[in-house]
Amino acid sequence: MPTFKLDGREIPFEKGETVIQAAHRAGIDIPHYCWHPGLSIAANCRMCLIEVMPPPGRPALMLNVLSYDAASGQYIDQQKPKLQPACQQQVSEGLEIKSESSPHVTKARGAVQEFLLLNHPVDCPICDQAGECRLQDYWLEHQHAPKRMRDEPVHKPKAVVFGPTIVYDAERCIVCTRCVRFCEEVAQDPVLSVRERGNVNEIVVSPGRELDNAYTLMTEYVCPVGALTATDFRFKARVWFLRNVRSICQGCATGCNAHLDYDPRDGEIYRHRPRENAEVNKYWMCDEGMLDYRRAREGRLVDAKLGGEAVKVGTALDRAAELLRAAALGKLGVLLSAQHSLEDNFAVLELGTKQLGASQVFSTGRPPGEGDTILRHPDKNPNTAGVASLVAPRKPQNLSGLAFAIQSGAITHVLALGSAVEDEAVVPMLGKLQALVVLGAWEGPLTEAAHVALPAASWAEADGQFMNAKGMVQESEQAVEPLGQARPAWKLAAALGVRLGIPIPFRTLEELRAALSGAAAGPKSKLPLQPGAMQ
Amino acid sequence: METLDLDLDHSELTLDAEPMLINVGPAHPAMHGTVRCVMELSGEVIERVDVQVGYLHRGFEKMCERGTWTQVYPYVDRCNYISPMLNNVGFSQACEKMLGIEVTPRCAYYRVALGELARISDHLTCAGAMAMELGAFTPFLWMIKGREMVWDIMEEETGARLTHSFGRVGGMAAPPTDSFKESSRAVVAQILSIVEESERLLFGNRIFLDRLQGVGKISAEDAISLGWTGPCLRACGVPYDVRKSHPYGRYDEFEFEVPVGSEGDCFDRFVIRLEEIKQSARIVEQALTKLPDSGPISVNDPRVVLPPKHEVYTTIEGTIRHFKVIMEGIKIPAGEVYAYSEGGNGELGFYLVSDGSGTPYRVRIRPPCFLVTSGLERLITGSMVSDVVPCFGSLNMIGGECDR
Repeated sequence: MPTFKLDGREIPFEKGETVIQAAHRAGIDIPHYCWHPGLSIAANCRMCLIEVMPPPGRPALMLNVLSYDAASGQYIDQQKPKLQPACQQQVSEGLEIKSESSPHVTKARGAVQEFLLLNHPVDCPICDQAGECRLQDYWLEHQHAPKRMRDEPVHKPKAVVFGPTIVYDAERCIVCTRCVRFCEEVAQDPVLSVRERGNVNEIVVSPGRELDNAYTLMTEYVCPVGALTATDFRFKARVWFLRNVRSICQGCATGCNAHLDYDPRDGEIYRHRPRENAEVNKYWMCDEGMLDYRRAREGRLVDAKLGGEAVKVGTALDRAAELLRAAALGKLGVLLSAQHSLEDNFAVLELGTKQLGASQVFSTGRPPGEGDTILRHPDKNPNTAGVASLVAPRKPQNLSGLAFAIQSGAITHVLALGSAVEDEAVVPMLGKLQALVVLGAWEGPLTEAAHVALPAASWAEADGQFMNAKGMVQESEQAVEPLGQARPAWKLAAALGVRLGIPIPFRTLEELRAALSGAAAGPKSKLPLQPGAMQ
Repeated sequence: METLDLDLDHSELTLDAEPMLINVGPAHPAMHGTVRCVMELSGEVIERVDVQVGYLHRGFEKMCERGTWTQVYPYVDRCNYISPMLNNVGFSQACEKMLGIEVTPRCAYYRVALGELARISDHLTCAGAMAMELGAFTPFLWMIKGREMVWDIMEEETGARLTHSFGRVGGMAAPPTDSFKESSRAVVAQILSIVEESERLLFGNRIFLDRLQGVGKISAEDAISLGWTGPCLRACGVPYDVRKSHPYGRYDEFEFEVPVGSEGDCFDRFVIRLEEIKQSARIVEQALTKLPDSGPISVNDPRVVLPPKHEVYTTIEGTIRHFKVIMEGIKIPAGEVYAYSEGGNGELGFYLVSDGSGTPYRVRIRPPCFLVTSGLERLITGSMVSDVVPCFGSLNMIGGECDR
């Protein structure tokens, strides 16, 4: 691999890479606002300026400048090298570049930072970005000096509503145009643009339009400062109190990698943020997915229910065991859920088919929805492929299949996982069952129709693996403790097995996963967890 | 009249005496903090003794690992809470050593002046309490009156009488008040006369002398092997004082003596403390003379020092600087340091480990009186029960500092 020199250190690079990319890969972060690995290069923030040393024997490109000499009170003629933005400067073999080691670069970055903060309002205490704001970080690293301008800062519009999800503050904006470029290049909806010039410029929405495409929240996420804020997150939490886990979005079959941010003090979940994964979602997520974190805690089944009456989980398990024991041989059906993890589905499948002798396996999930060519998949379930892989080579029947089996009397008892169904029209048919035992995380048609409903943990409350539409198995980590009496569905299945007097081959998650990976039809590969990356 | 027990000496009669186990503390007024002494007595003589510390355990070193570096100050305040300013200064120095910061002259002299005032209050308390526990209540009241004067100054300077949390990395929380020099000079003069009066009261008192002289003796070798420092070590004749041996914070510019004892008994430890008050008074006077009336109290380093409040409220740069220091904490470079200074009871050491984040990775404090207290067993084994009180008192065990 060819190399170039950055501050005296040899850095390998690939052909066509820019300085900032090569440095980023080598673990060196060159300060930047406008550059984003997933967007085109704008080179307008000037924060990543570097000094490119001339080839040996050639003079450097120098600029004549006047600099103020405090001692004499005079401006004196001086020269300084022409600095280049690292995000735009392509690397070539043997190129010598000075970043932090160049006093000109240090000075320039301090000056850029001073300019960016020149008209910035004193908003940190009320700004949602505080704590994860580049302006704050870079001030301490590169400027660390007070303001020299004594004039009143320029005032610009504040709290401009861009659309249903985004509020814009022009005073905080540094006009890096990341949001503009994102809308144009990734969301393919060029609805944002820059108006005016100089220190009065600002981001505006196209006349007659709102920022209302399917990827509006990403504009907030790419914003390096607090100019764009999400209506959903505004004034809800201070980010330094939040912790995050590596999660998988549950919104559709794409399986975008996400960070799930929660407050460890009260177990409240606040937001989803995209987690970089070049194979799946690159740097992005859709609005639906980013707001999908709410389902971790909303509309949840938190109590065990016997015919709609809340009871203790133990009582409900006893009753469920009684009902399932009464099932005639071959009359039991297992209903899996594409909403639940591989672990949950595997445990229910093991219990139902291997131990209780269920003859038929069905699968359901949320009904399909809108999709696009960017990220959104029409299948709104995170684990459809996973369920299919568990049952392979057979195919799980859908809900209509179950309705038909009930109608024909082939199935009288059902052990079900999940809450949502893809077709509500089938729900009345479930009333004909002699027993419907449901392990569900949410209140839904299934849990309502159930004779026994057991509260399962949502994805945010348990470790779990999901197989996305591309067949990649991805792991999602537990963020918070389950709500109410809820516990992971595989644990409920194991507890049910104990009550039925069945030897359960797994007591812990490790045992379950070992059994899962040993299962003949189980998923074969698992991707390692990918850490979040700097952007 | 013949004494009743005259014939006992020659008679066959013996008293079948089993050693008596007696338990003093942990909740006993003479056991200052919460120290427990399990003594095995033969008559009035202590045959064996087991000194147990650890009844006070707040886990403050562990708590220090939770917040920012600045949030450690309230914890070090509560180590030796008779002279918290010395702890504040010691911890500040440790952090500054890691950061490579040198404080401003104003801050350096202010720290010396406040620190020596704190030392005076520490020694006054110890000496006063020792006298009181031996029945001399008047000197106690006088010395505590002197301590009150010091604490009044502390209250004026810091806003708090006991737990000031006044130190800051790179400076102090506030510059000296306008009246600091004047009131300190007045107080030091009064304290010196209090000490003199107390000496006149006590040193002519046979009972007081008899209960201290020759009691609780320890050799210099033993004291060193136990890790003793401070007044207790100097009472054995070892002139080890961190301020002289390893001058820090401009102590090398000051003229003062290190008083040493000769016997290493309770009396020497008592007298050393009174002498040190006089030396501290000299240092305070010199520090007040050197203390500039103007100039910055803290270094101007945005990494560690908070900006002036008006800048926080009116400029974004000030707000960011404030935010960074408060919310993320001072980023002390990764590494470890042992920094030590002369506390009220001896060498007060801070061993700090930083991982470069805003939170201490490890804070280990070498509390001088923990090591001094470890010698109590040796001091009182073989002595009378009544000697426990002066011996223990002369060690100046401070519960908060002894906390393990």
